[in-house]
Amino acid sequence: MRTRRTLALGAVLLALVISACTPGGGSTTPSASPAAQKPEVTVGSAGFDESAVVAEIYAQALEAHGYTVKRQLEIGERPDVQAALTSGRVNLVPEYLGGLASYLKADVSSDAKATFDAMQVKLAAEDLIAFDYSPGTDADGWAVRKETADQLNLKAMSDVAKVADQLVWGLAPGCPTNPVCGPGLKSTYGIDISKLQVESLSPCSTEMAQALNNSAIDVAQVCTTQPDIQTFNFVLLEDDKALQPAQNLAPVARKDLADAAPADFAETLNAVSAKLTTDELTKLNVEVSVNQTSFANAASQWLKDQGLI
Amino acid sequence: MEFLGAVFAWFTDPASWSGRNTIPLRLWEQVSLSAVSLALAVAIALPLGLYIGHTDRGSRLVVAIANIGRAVPSLGWLGIALPITLVLFQRGGLGFLPACIALVALGIPPIVTNTYAGLREVSRDLLDAGRGMGMAELQLLRRVEVPIALPVIMAGVRSSAVTIVATATLAAVVGGGTLGDFILQGLFVNDQPRIFGAAVLVALLALATEMVFGYLQRRVVSPGLGTG
Repeated sequence: MRTRRTLALGAVLLALVISACTPGGGSTTPSASPAAQKPEVTVGSAGFDESAVVAEIYAQALEAHGYTVKRQLEIGERPDVQAALTSGRVNLVPEYLGGLASYLKADVSSDAKATFDAMQVKLAAEDLIAFDYSPGTDADGWAVRKETADQLNLKAMSDVAKVADQLVWGLAPGCPTNPVCGPGLKSTYGIDISKLQVESLSPCSTEMAQALNNSAIDVAQVCTTQPDIQTFNFVLLEDDKALQPAQNLAPVARKDLADAAPADFAETLNAVSAKLTTDELTKLNVEVSVNQTSFANAASQWLKDQGLI
Repeated sequence: MEFLGAVFAWFTDPASWSGRNTIPLRLWEQVSLSAVSLALAVAIALPLGLYIGHTDRGSRLVVAIANIGRAVPSLGWLGIALPITLVLFQRGGLGFLPACIALVALGIPPIVTNTYAGLREVSRDLLDAGRGMGMAELQLLRRVEVPIALPVIMAGVRSSAVTIVATATLAAVVGGGTLGDFILQGLFVNDQPRIFGAAVLVALLALATEMVFGYLQRRVVSPGLGTG
């Protein structure tokens, strides 16, 4: 009895092995040929949720166009990701304009186009290339509670500048010496933080969001795609005088991959970028960080919702 | 060398000594927060430890809870305390209060367990002798058990004090200032010398605490015990 079952199992396994090996080795099956013309993609990402879910979106969008895609998500900090990219361990990653540009020592400004162009020049020197950047940006920003916004009619930073001294501000430690925080608020918006009521809290942190939600502070320094903005229904104030550097997302690929790939490679990635608004990024962050949806499920749902797959 | 020069420059920068973000202010925040937290931890843990140590009643439960408390990371305590204090006190729920709650929770276990262990180690013969001489339970505790157990009790207070002083750095996360604020500043504006300088100050403060309580621990030992 036992012997017969073992034999049967062995036969099944053998059949599986044979069937798995033949098409790849033979490459005669018609379905294998289009994929063979497309280069293999290995998508990487930085070690945080937003970067990983966007990388997964690139991966699934490319798979839907017949690419074979491997994943190396959550590699680490930017230097680690860049090392993986230049060494060829991965050949496509999502990046942030301002962050990558300043890492590459290119000029950074609030002007996304200018920052992108400056970054592209530096990338070319490393045999890398960036594709279209997203309208959405994950930069430092400022948020208020919904009722504060309604009560004082606040939509943008210029509005809050007029009532700054009536509000308690949650600012990052180090804000007074950070050019795009204390000094920038003063020169761009005329908000002098040394004259304000200030609590020192980590920007983009849960503590900051909780403090705002419980009225311990009235204005919070946040990241523009922070999930708490949606969870607590905060109002993100528009940076109407463009103080913050552009932090739009763009896919960055190795030149050898971009050259080997047909035109639909760039088209696919550009179509994804076009749909990634700040709101959509925030929703994706809520999905993966708050609802704990897997990167793969969040990405495929989003691609379907956007009509991209 | 260049790095150490930058650290030294931070220490000697006039901005580090005047204004709203000075080394003395941050140091004071750290010391006062630690002192209040340690005092509260002692006030709660010592009577509890003495009670369970003397009577051995409920000791398993208390020691078990204390050990579970030890397993909660310090940031975890902050995460538990902050939402509660914020709901109760809004702006007053930031900073000192949640940090203090977390530090007290962190400081209690070593004092409770050491006090209990110290008391249980007192020889039963001595207690019987005390009772034979007509000592009341409280007298027994005060004149026999505590003096003999004091080195162990003080060791608990000492380890609690050092933990509290070092961990008070985390208060910066909930708006409590302290030397940890310099560390966060350094992280956000990418100023390594500031991080290093603040970390050195925290380490020195913890060492100083260790030495002060080590001295106290030696001073309170009854001469009759002749340890060390």
